[in-house]
Amino acid sequence: MASSSSAAVAAPRPASGRGVPSGNARLRRRLRSAAPLLVLIGLCLLIGLANPYFFHVSNLVRIANSSAIPAVLMCGETFVILLGSIDLSIEGVVAVGATVVSLLVRNDVTSLDLGLWALLLAVFAGLAIGALSGVLHVGLRIPSFMVTLGIWFASAGLANFVLGGGTVRILDPSVRLLALARLGGLPLMVWIALAVVAVAWVIQHYTRLGRYVYAIGGGEDVAALSGIPIRRVKVIIFALGGAFYALGGALAASQLGQGNAVMGIGRLFPTITAVVVGGTSLVGGEGSVPQSLIGVVIVAVLNNGMVLLGFSPYVQQAVQGLLIIAAVAISVDRSRMIVR
Amino acid sequence: MMNLSDPVARARLRTAAPSLLLVALVILIAAVTPGFGTPQTLLEVLADTATLYLLAAGQTFVTLIGGVDLSLQAVASLSSVVLAMLVARFGYGAFVAAVLVGTVFGLCSGFVHVRLRVPSFVATLATGGVMSGTALLLSDAHSIPIGENGREYLTVVTGNLLGVPHVIWLGAVVLLVGMVVQRYSAFGRYSMAIGAGEPAAWASGVRVERQKIICFVLAGTLAGLAGVVLAARMASGSPMLANELLLPSIAAVVVGGTAVTGGVGGIGRTMIGALIISVVRIGMIFVGVNIFAQQILFGTVLIFAVGITIDRSKILIVK
Amino acid sequence: MTAVLQGIQLSKSFVGIPALKAVDFELHPHEVVGLVGENGAGKSTLMRLVAGVQLPSSGTLLRDGVPLVLRSPREAADHGIAMVFQEQSLLLNLSVAENLFLGREQEFMRAGLINWRRLHEAARRQLAKVELDIDPATRTAELSFAARQMLELAKALSLEDRVAGELVILLDEPTSVLERHEVALLFARVRALKQRASFIFVSHRLDEVLALSDRIYVMKDGAVVAEMPTAEASLPKLHRLMVGREQHTEFYRESDQEAHGDAVVLQARGLTAEGHYRDVDFDLRRGEVLGIAGVIGSGREELVRTLFGFLAHTAGTLKVDGAEVRFAIPADAVAHGIGYIPRERRVEGLVLLLSLASNMTLANLGVVMRHGWIRRARERLLAADWMRKLSIRASGIDALCVSLSGGNQQKVVLAKWLTAGSRILILDHPTRGLDVGAKEEVYRLVRDLCRQGTSVVLTADSLEETIGLSHTVLVMRDGRVTARFEAGRGAKPAQVDLIEHMV
Repeated sequence: MASSSSAAVAAPRPASGRGVPSGNARLRRRLRSAAPLLVLIGLCLLIGLANPYFFHVSNLVRIANSSAIPAVLMCGETFVILLGSIDLSIEGVVAVGATVVSLLVRNDVTSLDLGLWALLLAVFAGLAIGALSGVLHVGLRIPSFMVTLGIWFASAGLANFVLGGGTVRILDPSVRLLALARLGGLPLMVWIALAVVAVAWVIQHYTRLGRYVYAIGGGEDVAALSGIPIRRVKVIIFALGGAFYALGGALAASQLGQGNAVMGIGRLFPTITAVVVGGTSLVGGEGSVPQSLIGVVIVAVLNNGMVLLGFSPYVQQAVQGLLIIAAVAISVDRSRMIVR
Repeated sequence: MMNLSDPVARARLRTAAPSLLLVALVILIAAVTPGFGTPQTLLEVLADTATLYLLAAGQTFVTLIGGVDLSLQAVASLSSVVLAMLVARFGYGAFVAAVLVGTVFGLCSGFVHVRLRVPSFVATLATGGVMSGTALLLSDAHSIPIGENGREYLTVVTGNLLGVPHVIWLGAVVLLVGMVVQRYSAFGRYSMAIGAGEPAAWASGVRVERQKIICFVLAGTLAGLAGVVLAARMASGSPMLANELLLPSIAAVVVGGTAVTGGVGGIGRTMIGALIISVVRIGMIFVGVNIFAQQILFGTVLIFAVGITIDRSKILIVK
Repeated sequence: MTAVLQGIQLSKSFVGIPALKAVDFELHPHEVVGLVGENGAGKSTLMRLVAGVQLPSSGTLLRDGVPLVLRSPREAADHGIAMVFQEQSLLLNLSVAENLFLGREQEFMRAGLINWRRLHEAARRQLAKVELDIDPATRTAELSFAARQMLELAKALSLEDRVAGELVILLDEPTSVLERHEVALLFARVRALKQRASFIFVSHRLDEVLALSDRIYVMKDGAVVAEMPTAEASLPKLHRLMVGREQHTEFYRESDQEAHGDAVVLQARGLTAEGHYRDVDFDLRRGEVLGIAGVIGSGREELVRTLFGFLAHTAGTLKVDGAEVRFAIPADAVAHGIGYIPRERRVEGLVLLLSLASNMTLANLGVVMRHGWIRRARERLLAADWMRKLSIRASGIDALCVSLSGGNQQKVVLAKWLTAGSRILILDHPTRGLDVGAKEEVYRLVRDLCRQGTSVVLTADSLEETIGLSHTVLVMRDGRVTARFEAGRGAKPAQVDLIEHMV
């Protein structure tokens, strides 16, 4: 057998953009996934140093309380972003959820009195709207941001339309109890939110649906070749998202004691901030519900801290905006992708 | 060989449809409610359209390169606040300052999207948040009325020329300049190329990154102008002023026939789209349709208009 | 003995251009069959048919004597045929175990929830078959290339629990990402696994094919030209079979090849791009055609991309007309008078939905501008001029490029760079997808350009074209230049000489 005439050097690695993983790369990756937690701890320390009241029990309870509804919303959005898509319809679906609940329990406008079943119906309403988003996205092959942008305004309009621009006062005490009653020092709503997050985590980690979300986000073409039902998964995930958002809206209504169509306004931004800051990548396939939860707490702590330190509340939005930019810019290496 | 008729025929249909729709709508509404067809009303419609058009025109430049700008309403609001705050002291200088605010923030959006490689909808969502926060901070979340000593400067916007409101002239000028720029400037040519085939533009030596940033700067400037116009017409500036115009401005772009995949459509088409949106809005008020139902309608129209105009061959995997 | 896999008269055409012509082959139990051939010989196409990625245009595939129609890789898997890609079927963000059983999770469910313990146990069993000793929960992105290759192999092997009969495993260039000792490991595994599976081994590294295979098929131009037991094969014999007859010289207008000038327009010394190629030296002279030959993975594609600013070099120098340059983006290269006719002409060469005229001026709009505005009349004149000079057949200068044939599209791309006044042209697979007539026109144009002083860097599909058109040929393998040939008029090297340094 004739010998080849090439010099005995190792073949240079082809660049696939993934790189040869080394111990160094693994360490960097571990650091990156630990970053949100470190940021949270750092923030707490900084704020606590500036104003020790931060660590007071009642303040911590306040932080937990203000994290509750964002945490519920975050569950839905995390799944959608893990797919590699985005859901901009949160505010509209929250409004619908709040509207449905407030109109179905004992209130000052209608004569219905469905008690806690109203929450279930609100969730179904959200499920239906989300499913619609999913079907339009998958069926008409319209990018998710466009579909959910349209659904955002359509569902907000729906809520407005049904309420005629007015407000409905909730008179059912059991519904109000969800927000006001305390269990172990924390409002019931916080425990509900924790339960919801736990359910979301189980879905993510222990169900086929959850694993398929990661597969689709990590490589939709490969996932398709392996027989994963891409379209079905996407519709279910958007529907699931809608369910979470509507639940958030229902909880918001119970918290406020009323239902109105502006209940959702301003909620999209902190939700996306939380998911991105928690380490979930916008291209999909990276991140998790627990990580997003840390992001939710970071946002809550930041808002709380800004108030404690005397910053204007309007700075919150600006800071969140900068946070998103920083989080996305630092995250995944996107050397040659076309970014739209 | 390529099937000739398909992309070309579809493009032709896209061009003609919106204009036909506009004409049909005007006739329909005028037939149902005679008050709609009067010159008075039509001028109203046009004036209303002008403001919307300024926002939509800016959005068009970004859409043509395949992006989306979700911050333009925040830019407009911020500009309105700046104008309201400064006009009494600085007169016409305040106008310039307000528009420049838009230019600067457009640059920020462009930078974040292009240089930091953040997808445009997230980048502009974020910069929009920063702008909203700034506007809220500056105005302390209140609307700022323009006092007596500022009012005199507003006539440059609210006045009439030859019986036609200044804003309509402004809209017409923007339309004309925009069309000239699109057709006859290097920037216009490069934008189309980037939108219709970014890899080819890149491989032909077009400075894609620079071009994209310019698009965002333009959009921001036009949005700043829109904010100025709004503030002048309302005689006050507010941090929430333009918020309800985001969806209609995007709808105007899409309904006019510019594809969100980029490279097809333009400023002229957006004018038709803006007119359609305005006619529908005002028409619905005339006909007596609930204002909230309008939102539902616009949301639905947006989705289907995108569904029709989008070029699916460009995106293999729809996310 | 009955063949485990048999192909009878398999053919495949893409848009009328045949990629595979009436191929017959057989795979027997417990054997490794090697498949060799030049770029474009049809190896990958054949593999894709067998793996179920595509359907043949005609012909039959038989498994254990039974005809098969494979509409998807999943169907192929159901029949025990699996392809080991170069990490193309792995999801890097998932764990090893998840990748192994992707799409088959229901085997490990309990009460609707995944039983991770059982999944990991099953994963460990599969990994043991290829002696891969890693924690199944490891993220796939953290594995080395070699480990990923083994994982792919394990994934293919895991089919044997589900499918009756012997497995057929297709190895598509599995060694291009591996170090030498990893290759040895892979071969040891494959030999050990011959008891339970049969393999088809595709590679451009002939020494490896000779080392691992029991029988070898040689393909050329879409057909099988030879089949022999490895014992009867040798490198020179394979080389000869792979390249076949030399083409008629006038096809490449060799008589029009003129001597090039002396001025060096483009010079590379020690040019290196980490991970792609290393220590490349060349001088490109005025009016010269420099051909670069090499198989996929040789680094020639990346070298060419560097010359146009898609990929920055990490070491060494690049000089244009004596001045050192470093291109960060293509616009830099264009500014230095370099043009690029890409292989993906419909994606990178033309903006299909714009007109001929718009495309022709895209690289240098200034030519038709005055006082900062585009003079449309001037643009139309320019476009009409090129249409005439290059004989571009189209309905008019306003015709959209999408409506043109491949050959005419290529001419529009050329017109673009001629408008830009490029003195150095990079031709990347310039005749791909063109019919014979269009190819001839391209060759004629290249000769004309050289005569006018334009220099060309050429990477072509076939060795024949490279040798026929070039004045000088650089041969690359595994990231380095392995040989340099003068290819003057009447003194062309034989393809066999080049192949020796490519594979």
